[in-house]
Amino acid sequence: MDFSSLVTAMPGLVSGMMLTLKLLVLAIVGGVALGTLLALARLSHNKLLSNLAGFYVNYFRSIPLLLVITWFYFVVPFIIGWLTGTNEPIGAFYSCLVAFMMFEAAYYCEIVRAGIQSISRGQVNAAYALGMTYSQTMRLVILPQAFRKMTPLLLQQSIILFQDTSLVYAVGLMDFLNSARSAGDIVGELHQFLLFAGLVYFIISFGASTLVKRLQKRLTV
Amino acid sequence: MISIKNVSKWYGDFQVLTDCTTEVSKGEVVVVCGPSGSGKSTLIKCVNGLEPFQSGDIIVDGISVGSPKTDLPKLRSRVGMVFQHFELFPHLSITDNLALAQIKVLGRKEDEAKKKGLALLDRVGLSAHAAKFPGQLSGGQQQRVAIARALAMDPIAMLFDEPTSALDPEMINEVLDVMVQLAHEGMTMMCVTHEMGFARKVANRVIFMDKGAIVEDANKDEFFGSPRSERAQAFLSKILQH
Repeated sequence: MDFSSLVTAMPGLVSGMMLTLKLLVLAIVGGVALGTLLALARLSHNKLLSNLAGFYVNYFRSIPLLLVITWFYFVVPFIIGWLTGTNEPIGAFYSCLVAFMMFEAAYYCEIVRAGIQSISRGQVNAAYALGMTYSQTMRLVILPQAFRKMTPLLLQQSIILFQDTSLVYAVGLMDFLNSARSAGDIVGELHQFLLFAGLVYFIISFGASTLVKRLQKRLTV
Repeated sequence: MISIKNVSKWYGDFQVLTDCTTEVSKGEVVVVCGPSGSGKSTLIKCVNGLEPFQSGDIIVDGISVGSPKTDLPKLRSRVGMVFQHFELFPHLSITDNLALAQIKVLGRKEDEAKKKGLALLDRVGLSAHAAKFPGQLSGGQQQRVAIARALAMDPIAMLFDEPTSALDPEMINEVLDVMVQLAHEGMTMMCVTHEMGFARKVANRVIFMDKGAIVEDANKDEFFGSPRSERAQAFLSKILQH
């Protein structure tokens, strides 16, 4: 097999990887933020709030990610256009980003919820007894401890997200996998490019996973 | 200062507090004792609103704890509380544990809060440990820090919820010493504790609880000398036997 055409195609592959990473990082940040809010809502004493959040989580965990991606690409712009009366397309990148954020938030929510529940009730009482409000207690006392405990799990979930970003190919976004596929198609060497893409995904995911395991060991000691 | 009026509390159908009424005046030290499950911890947690109660009322410095209109965080910031399991914040250094609520709740400047925290740390004999984290201290040391943390808020009264129950025997005295010193300085204190030696030494009054009710509420000498209720007599004879 001849891999020389890979070198020629490298700029395209690199820009594909940049898009993948940009999508990944923004989706993690948005997903964890939304997931944390959902977790707080699920743990709320307000029945309506906790039921709504529970429904959200169960709903998104019960449908395929690919469906969410296509749904946001085709349906949401239509609804927004219908609501605002304009006809501006959102674009594949932003519709995918929103889809990933909302989908992953359901998974991050469960991790954050478990993290918060692992902190003893006594810590909440101690913060309250010092005069802190609910929001201060969460921001200054509970979440910092919870996030410390759940960092390994959040990272593992993010590695899965990294692999799942390749699904954007369904709406034609040129991420790393799609760039490799299309470059391979053009030069007629699809196998080499797909093998290469597989190797890159493996190295990044496996490497990150190994690092997370090491971090986990350090945190538990 | 603290007046508890006919407080009752239920968990579902189970009544944990039954018509509790008592008073803690300014500068008074009141010890609450009784067998486990008698509701002492629940009662003291009602005083600063950590536990809600369904009937009766508690008035702290003229403010009703039970009223939905009360700004509970503000009221709590004026009442110090020390817990059985210390509850220092493990992700913060001792200095930050002492300063956090002063800064975020009372709005003190950072250097002012840290200075105050260090002064109190010195008072409980731990100034050498300011930069450490809670996990690096012994239980007795952590509890002394917890007392200093509560004092840093300049409380009008202090609540102690079994402050020595989770400690190794040789660490109990270092914590009790700090509490005795506080009592001598005139701090208003309500202490749930089994330390009868402490009660004898500094308490003005002793409250004995059983099955969620206040069975005996007497001044110290009366309580230890001639408890009226049989339940308190039995309790005292058991714990003072050795």
